[in-house]
Amino acid sequence: MGPVLYRADPPEARRLVPLDALDLIFHLPSGQTHLVSEPVPQVLGALAAGPADAAEIVSRLAAAHDFDPAGAEAVIAARLEELEAIGLVWRA
Amino acid sequence: MSDDEQSEEPQAGSTTRRHALMLGAVAATAVVSIRPAMASTVGSVLNCEIPVPDAGRAGNYIAADGSLVPRNTPGAFAPSPRPFTGEQVKAAMDGRSLPGTSPQQSRAYTAYIRRLQIGQSGFTCYSSLLNTRR
Repeated sequence: MGPVLYRADPPEARRLVPLDALDLIFHLPSGQTHLVSEPVPQVLGALAAGPADAAEIVSRLAAAHDFDPAGAEAVIAARLEELEAIGLVWRA
Repeated sequence: MSDDEQSEEPQAGSTTRRHALMLGAVAATAVVSIRPAMASTVGSVLNCEIPVPDAGRAGNYIAADGSLVPRNTPGAFAPSPRPFTGEQVKAAMDGRSLPGTSPQQSRAYTAYIRRLQIGQSGFTCYSSLLNTRR
């Protein structure tokens, strides 16, 4: 099985409200609200450049962020599965 | 490549400010969904039930204004032997009588339901009816 590509709605489909350490995301197409922590908003932002798998998202994030690369791909893959479960991303 | 949703801090001199990102652990949950009551109740609203009155005060009668009064109070109505469904209450709010009741009795029961408050049995059902009427 090859890498799983994910896709997200464009940023205009979401309203992002920073709440101290968390962010509130209102997803207009579904009318649902989600409370998320890092790196979820950044992952959604990285998907604005087009469909990507976890490895590609890590490399997009690395262009603008500092983080520990060890295990990053596994973390991002886990977040993508969570985002898929709530309908913010889907498999491309 | 389009910009990240996070606005980057302006660059100071030649130093590029980079955002430190907390990735967290694989097993850590990063998402909590807040589902609006309306979205989750629309499907079940017609089947939810409203007891008149709730079980904790089943010995009381229902006065014409919907308040609860001691049993056998003149002019008040005995409790409904069975709860009403959301669909029946919705129809009653649109002017029909609750099933098995006289018009006066139906008005008293409907007044009781309108006075339901959070925590009382049937309140969630009633408030979701209001949401679906929008």
